[in-house]
This record gives sequence, structure tokens and C-alpha cells, in this order.
Amino acid sequence: MKITLQWLRDHIDCDLDATTLGARLTMAGLELDALQRLDQGLDMVQVGRLETVDPHPNADRLTLCHVRIGESCLQIVCGAKNHRPGDKVAVARIGARLPNGMEIQLGQIRGVTSQGMLCSLKELGLATESEGVLILEPATPDGLSIAQALGRDDVVLELGITPNRGDCLGVRGVAREVAALTGKLLKPLEAITVPIEAPDAIAQVRLEDPEGCPRYAGRVIRGVKVGPSPAWLRNRLEVVGMRAINNVVDVTNYLLLDLNQPLHAFDLEKLQGAVVVRRAAEGEILRTLDGVERKLSPTMTVIADQERVLALAGIMGGEESGVTEATTDLFLEVAYFDPITTARTGRRLELVSESRHRFERGTDPEAISRVMERATRMILDVAGGLAGPVTLLDGGTWHAPAEIFYRPDRVNRLGGIDLTPERMNTLLSALGCQVLPISGEEPRFMVIPPSWRHDLKREEDLVEEIVRLHGYDQVPTTLPRVPAAPPVPDAQRLLAEQVREIFVGLGYQEAIDYAFVAPEIQSRFDAAVTPVRLLNPLSEEQSVLRTTLIAGLIETAQRNLNRGNMRLRLFEMGRVFLPRTEDGVLDEVERLACLLCGPVEEVSAHAAVRAVDFFDLKGDMEALFAALTGSMPELSVGGPAFLHPLRCAAIRGAGGRAIGWVGQLHPAEQAALDIRREIYLLELDLAALSGKGAKVTGEIVTSRFPGIQSDFTFLMPERTASGEVMAEVVAVNAALIRQARVVAIYTGTGVPEGWKSLTLSVLLQADDRTLTDVESKGVAERIIARVVERFGAALR
Amino acid sequence: MLEDALEKLKESALAALTHAATHAELEAIRVQTMGKKGDLTQILRGLGQMDESQRATFGAQANAFKESFANRLAERSEDLKQAELHQKLEKEWVDITLPGRPRSRGTLHPVTRAQNEIIAIFTAMGFPPASGPEVESDWHNFEALNIPPDHPAREMHDTFYLPPALDGRKRLLRTHTSPVQIRVMEGKQPPLRAIAPGKVFRCDSDLTHTPMFHQVEGFMVDEGVHFGQLKGLLATFLVRFFERELPVRFRPSFFPFTEPSAEVDMGCLFCDGQGCRVCKRTGWLEVLGCGLIHPNVLTNVGIDRERYSGFAFGMGVERLAMLKYGIHDIRALFDNDVRFLTRHA
Repeated sequence: MKITLQWLRDHIDCDLDATTLGARLTMAGLELDALQRLDQGLDMVQVGRLETVDPHPNADRLTLCHVRIGESCLQIVCGAKNHRPGDKVAVARIGARLPNGMEIQLGQIRGVTSQGMLCSLKELGLATESEGVLILEPATPDGLSIAQALGRDDVVLELGITPNRGDCLGVRGVAREVAALTGKLLKPLEAITVPIEAPDAIAQVRLEDPEGCPRYAGRVIRGVKVGPSPAWLRNRLEVVGMRAINNVVDVTNYLLLDLNQPLHAFDLEKLQGAVVVRRAAEGEILRTLDGVERKLSPTMTVIADQERVLALAGIMGGEESGVTEATTDLFLEVAYFDPITTARTGRRLELVSESRHRFERGTDPEAISRVMERATRMILDVAGGLAGPVTLLDGGTWHAPAEIFYRPDRVNRLGGIDLTPERMNTLLSALGCQVLPISGEEPRFMVIPPSWRHDLKREEDLVEEIVRLHGYDQVPTTLPRVPAAPPVPDAQRLLAEQVREIFVGLGYQEAIDYAFVAPEIQSRFDAAVTPVRLLNPLSEEQSVLRTTLIAGLIETAQRNLNRGNMRLRLFEMGRVFLPRTEDGVLDEVERLACLLCGPVEEVSAHAAVRAVDFFDLKGDMEALFAALTGSMPELSVGGPAFLHPLRCAAIRGAGGRAIGWVGQLHPAEQAALDIRREIYLLELDLAALSGKGAKVTGEIVTSRFPGIQSDFTFLMPERTASGEVMAEVVAVNAALIRQARVVAIYTGTGVPEGWKSLTLSVLLQADDRTLTDVESKGVAERIIARVVERFGAALR
Repeated sequence: MLEDALEKLKESALAALTHAATHAELEAIRVQTMGKKGDLTQILRGLGQMDESQRATFGAQANAFKESFANRLAERSEDLKQAELHQKLEKEWVDITLPGRPRSRGTLHPVTRAQNEIIAIFTAMGFPPASGPEVESDWHNFEALNIPPDHPAREMHDTFYLPPALDGRKRLLRTHTSPVQIRVMEGKQPPLRAIAPGKVFRCDSDLTHTPMFHQVEGFMVDEGVHFGQLKGLLATFLVRFFERELPVRFRPSFFPFTEPSAEVDMGCLFCDGQGCRVCKRTGWLEVLGCGLIHPNVLTNVGIDRERYSGFAFGMGVERLAMLKYGIHDIRALFDNDVRFLTRHA
């Protein structure tokens, strides 16, 4: 919402400068977004009267002028052709710095001194194109600053108006705020009654939709002459960013901006019979002023005649019935349209207009007659014509705002302030509220809010008005009282923090990807689940809710690899959205995912760097489980189809339930995604790590007696699962065998094709004694026998 | 005679010790000089022929020699040890200017870091963390928060909608974390407090908006809660979070779920309030929204609005992270370039 300081002064004697005013309004809730001085660059430009215009003695195309500015007379060389002696012109004096940056200096042009410049509109920054120098109205007094002469000695304030303050979408509403803030009085609006000079020009109106239109006024004005508006009106509109169209439309726009009341003028000749305010019929079509054909539905209130729809009530007029240069008779509409109906229609049609913006925030239903008279007066002034009587219809659906009972004590309590009831009442009265005392023990007042304040409904609303006008910065600052007991931590959040800590410790970088992804990549990484599609996605690339974190991580990896970031250790934690097939309920599941790619370490002089492999990721996963649950998850062969079939595993939790998977991206997928390096991936339900009670409890015994470490090397078929070998060995004597680890695997020279050499390191130890040679030998023999028998192995 | 021999041995043995270059040579000299068949033993064999008085004197001389030999031997042995150690060390030179073995440094996402810092401050002030779903109902996201259908305030929230649930209920991606406020209050009675971080979604994407971002919502409901407390809490938070004293101002604003409502501005970090590009020449940065919880919201969750009052506040985590860590482009936060993640860790 743009206003100007001069315009504001029509309504209040405000002596604050624009910056101070902007700051005061900002701190009252009308935020100053921008401030623009209209006389920028016009300081040293004044009105001058051309006394003489002679040819330049040394140049054919130039003129030598003498210009009178008050007492002084300047000699100026000018290249324009449209100036004559006696013209009033805009003179930039020496020292002026024009809006386009041009600096005016004392100059010699072809041997003649020039003491300034005669300006064009373009040079004054007031037009993008202009021809010749600007010639002003003959009556303009010389010596006047050009800013004043052109109505540019003004400042535009752009205010951000919050949706609750529709009443401030007019200059007068802002002026009322200023009055409440400064204690100055709002200038009363002059009461206008236009004489009825065309008593037979009756506005025929039927109000059939009192819900959508609680009040409607119409008036016929005959014999207007549509044409350009006077300069002052055009200027007012243009400086606040509204295009001047013609005198009739400009008057309606002026009042919209001035009094926050949208109006509409129809060309009476285009109307067939009475005007009807009704609901649209299903499928009715209206071509609105912006040239778009709109398909209407019965939820929408329209203005129609006997034949067809003329306008979308309170939003936009129709192209056919608008005022043009040819219009001579008007039908002028001033109405109060229902905010909700207007908002709904506007949103359904995605149609934004100044009018809708105001009606959907609520205009002043009591102002209709006043605005009608004022609009008529202005139209008669700028376009002539004869006014008919007003037809005012009241649907009986608008009710004056209900009274609010308020307790100054409670205002002080909620606001944390200490104001007297008198002070509070003064502030409320300045906003237009009627305040009446209620007798009783506790001081109470009845407040009747003004008809333009739809946002004042209850005591708390008055609290805001009082505290805001008193000043938020005046409220003494303190801290809330809370019990000293520390808050109970959130288990889920704690777990997430631990996981992050562990992964950061393991050298991973946390990524955060969008929760919505492209359907292609989503189905590539989770073909089994049909993701939920957004009804209104921004783009196809972000149209379905992810059911796996992998899609986002892979895209992150692709972006990084494309930029030459070849070493990636990424993890992400976040929710996936899994629709249940039976009832369609969307489960939000917290997941953890990792991605490894490229060299295991940065290249350095210290050692050759290998690429990451399956066991880097598996090792990190084991570290995570060890830290959080104290136990290792079970792995089983298998995993999603986008993984390398022989380098992937399903991760199983309690009861064998699948809780995730780990593996290498399938080389075919990798190629399809145009990735040149092996990628290792893991995805896990975070809940699997919550390890309820899984942490080791009870006494942990560390044996005081020495253990015996023995190594065994076997030859066995290459694809024998090491995990099974280790488990089998431990099973030989679970009491004494403390550890059985594979410490070397070898294939190649000396080992037959299809076989491997596997070395196990076994620790034997008892808690209560030193083991004897006999005991340890016995166990060793049984280990060998068991491995040989179970796996078809041979001791090497 | 014997004295001469001893004197000679002393000279030669001590000289030999001095010249020995290895521990083996030292040992050989010790055996040669002091061993059972060594030179000193040989000399001492002649002791029997000496008379009583001479023997005592000579014995003392021999003992003195033994002592000085032992001392010198120990000395030389130590010398050689030192020399050997020195030699060993000399071979063990490393180029200390060579970079250390690279260690992978993990990094938290800047949004997570900022979020953790925010939560830590509010937790310390007595607000327990809470969370809620990212897919929300119209009730929790809008209606319970006093945003009825067709209210112009809905236009402040560009909402992503999902197909309705099978029971016909509207589903949407939450546009703010305020619904967590409703979920915490539902079915409970004051005193209530919570701090709720989380992802939120709006269909808006340009230079300064991403369709997904993070908010932290906080609220408190109790007897006697007032606006001055809200001011104090948030001003304290901002000073802690930005780790410096800064001016904070509360400016009236509008949110449907608070009344009175305020935007919180803090003095611009980059120009100390002088006005710069970041603060759009105002000297202030808008960082928070807040207010006293609207009585309709309290009524919606069955809390007595006469007896209790509350405040609520919300902040954008990205905005705070960008200001604190000097990040200029919000879109970089969800691009996850590892160089960016490393730089802002």
C-alpha cells in the first residue's frame, strides 16, 4: 500500500517528516517497506519564463534564451525547437544533479555562456520518452520549484499492511492510525450531498444474493464526458503506482485508495434492464477486464443484467460493460461485498485485484452512501453530467460489530504493562471505538468497535490495540517463570543426535535433501511402493513424497561428482512417507541412509589410497550398532534389486525383521545414472537403533588368567561364508573360545582355483584358571575337526 | 717392579678404553684387563713376594686402579650409548612440514547445527523438545490455529496438498511447525511448554525461498503468562544464539493464532544497525514471529482462556543459520555440495 505525505495531510495535520512517520507506523504494525522522495534530483530545478528566444550566433540548430526566474535572469543555450518567448519552462540551474545523474555546470557552448539547462520530462525523470522541453501551464509562477509545480514535492511511503488491517488500505485509514499515535485529530470528512438533477434516471437494482452482497448502492449519472483526468488526479494516481485511465475510472480508483472503498462504473448503455446482484449459474462465462474468459460457478456472486453477467462482484468488471471514451451515461456501483465469498471466488479464479484485496479484508459497510456522494461529486467535477437518485439496498445480512467488554486489569495483566483505564480509553477512542463505562466492582468498559474494524471482536483484540499504540517497546521486559526441573529429553531426538555424532566421528558429512523427488528416481530406488503424489507440485522433479532417502542421496552424489567432488561420505536422517496399502494412512518413518564413493582417504604422500568397498560401509554400520545397541545386527544375503546381487545384504533386527540393507549400487544402475564410480549405500530404520534394553547390563568380568592365541589356516571352497566358519568355531566350546576372527584370506599361487586359504585367530581363555596345554590342544583339535567336516576344508 | 707393571697397565688400559669405539671393544678390554686371566690378575700374582708394608701400599694402588678403570668403563659405555642413540635418531628424520595423514572430518549440516543450538538454549530455559508429523490435517495446520477456510491469512501459506485420506480428510504438508503446539496441548492442561523443531513446506521457490525449510516453534501456557515475559525470553535467546549483545525490537504484526502478535527484529549483524544491503538499509533484521496465543486456539484445545494465557513463537532455522554462519544463498543449503558442507562445518 503506497501513500504520499501530501495525500495523508488531506486527512490529518501531520508535521512529522517521512522518515519519522515511517518509523512510528512501523512500530505500530504498519511496516514501512520503502520510502521514495519524489523530488529526488529536482532540488535546483525551477520554473522560468522565457523572455527571449534567439538563434545562437554560431550554431544553426541551437537557440540562445534568456529566462526570468524571480529576480534573476539566466542566459541558456538550448537545442530544442518547441519553446517560444513567454513559455513557462523547467530550468535546471547550475549545481543541479538531475534524476538521470546529469550535473549542470556553467558551460560554454559554441562560444556562448550557458547558465543552466531547459529540461524535458525525460530529463526530469518523469517520463521514459518525451519530445522537446517541458512547457508548463502559463499560470505557473516563475521561481516556483519544479517539484511543487508538478506536484512532486512529496514522499511516497510504501507500507506493508497485514491481512487483519484492511481498514488501512486507504489513506484515511492510515491517517487514523497516525491520529491515534500522535494524539492529533483526524480532519472530518466534508459532508457532501449532490443535487439530483436527473430525477428520472432511476438506478434499477435487484439484490438477490444478500449473503454475497449485504449492501448495494447504484446511481445513474447522465451526460458525462469521458476523457483524461486533470493533472492533479493523474499525478496522485501515478505517484502511488496506479495507471491513470480516464476521468471516471480515475475517480473510482482515487476513492479506492483514499477511502478504501472500491467502486465500479458501468456504461449504462451496455446494460439490458435492471442490474441484478445474484449467484452465477453453473458454467456461465464472463470475459473480465483483463481479457480472460472466466468460467463461473454458483458459489460466486456476480453483477448481471437481464441478459448476462456484467462483473464479478467486488473483484473485476467485465470487458463489455466498462466505461470507454464513448460512454455518456454511467451506472455507478458502491457496495459492501462479503469478505469470505469474495476471497473464495478470487482464489478459485486465481484473480488478484485491488478491489478483491480490499473486499476480502472487509470494507466499511456504513460508508457506502458517503462514498457514493463523494464519488458523484468528483465525477461531476471532472467529467460533468447530471446525477440521478441513489438506489440503496440493504440485504439485512450485515450486522454492526458486537460490543466487547473489557477489563483494564486484564489488559495490564496480559500485556505486562500498567496503564490507567483513562489512557486505554483514549487510545481506543482515537481508533473510532465508542467506549462506555459499566458499573460494577471491577472497572469494566463496553466498547463498540467502528464499522471498518472487522478484526476487533474480543477483549484480546483490544489488548493488542492498547499495547501496540502504547508501544511494544514500552512493555517492561522480564523472563517467564518455569520450574527448575530440567525438561525430560525426547528419546527420538536424543537417538538422532547420537547417530549424527557417531557418523560425524566416522567422517561422514550430513546432507539434507528435499522430501519430495522426481517419480522416476523414486521408483528406481523403491519400485515396490507407490509414493504419494502432491496435488500441486512446483515441478515434476519435486512431485512425489520420498519413500526412501536413497533417491535424494544419489542425486546429491551425482551433483557432487559432476562438479569434481570425487570423495563422498554422506549421510542423511529424515522421514520417508509410506502409504499403507490397506487404509491409505501415510506412515512417517525416520530413516538413516549413507553413501560412500571414491577414495577411502584423501590422497597423500603417506600411503597409496584405495577406493572404498563394501567393508568400509559395513564396518561403519557395525560401529554404529556397537555404540548404540551393544550388539551386532544379523545380515542375510539379499537386498533391493538396484544393488549388486552378490554385494548386498539385508540387515535384520530382533525377530529377524528386516530393518534395512547395505550394498553396492548395481553396475547397471550406476551406468544408467551416468555415474563412473562404485557407490556403496545403506538405509536403515532409525527405530532399529533405539536398542531398548539391548545395552549390556550386569557385571562385566575380565579374566585375570592368561589366554592362548592360536592361528589356524584352512583351505576351503572360495564361497564359504566366513561368518558361518567363525560361528561354527565358537560353537565348539563357547565357554573357552572368547574370540574367533578371520585375520587373513588368500587366493592365488599355491591355492587351487575355486578355493581360498583362510586364517582364523582364536583366543582361548578361562575365567577361573590358567589353561593347560592339554586343554588347549584338545580344543584346537576339535576346532580343526569341526571346520574340516562342516566346510569340506583342509588344514594347511 | 710390580708398581711399574701396574702403572703401565693403568696407562695402557685407560688409553684402550678411551679409544674403544664399540661396546664389544670395551668388553674385550674389560676381560683383558680385569678378567680372571686378565692383566691385573697376572700382576697381582706377584703380590706374594712382597713384604708386608709394600703389599698394603700396592694393594691400595691396585684398588684405586680398579675403581678408576670401572669409572672410565662406565663413562665410555655411556658415551658409546649416547653416540649410538644419536646415530639412531639421526637416521629417523621426518619432514615435519609434510601434512599429517588425512583424517576424514565429518560435518553436521549447518541447519542441524543451528537447530541444535536453538534447542539447547530453549531446553536450558525449561522448554522440552517436541515433534509432530510433516503430513498434517487441515485442522492442525489451519483451523485449530484460528485460520478458517477462505481466510485471507491462508494466502500467507502457499500450501502443498496431498490427495485426501480414504476417510475424506484433507491432507497437506505442514506449512509451519505451529501444529505441534496444537498436538502438545490437545487433551492436556497447563502448565505446558515445548520447543518443536522440524521441516515445513510451502510451494514457493525463488532466490530467497526453498519449497522446504525448517522452523522451530516454541510455546508456553500457564497462569499469569504475559507479553513482557515473551519479550524477555526471545531477547535472551537472540543474545545467546548470536553470542553478542544486540538490540532487539518487537513490532506489531499479524498472525491468526496470536493476539497480540509481533515480529521480532534484531540489530543488523553486518552493519551494527547503520544500514546495509543485508538489512535493506533498515538496520534491522527480521528473525522471529511471536505473540500471545489467541484465545480461540486455547478454546480449540479445551484450555480455559480466562484462567490461562500463553505465548508462542516461531523462527526460520535457515534464516538464523545463514545469519550466524554467513551463508548467502538459501538454496546452497539443500544442494549439499561437500565443499560447502566442509566450509560451513
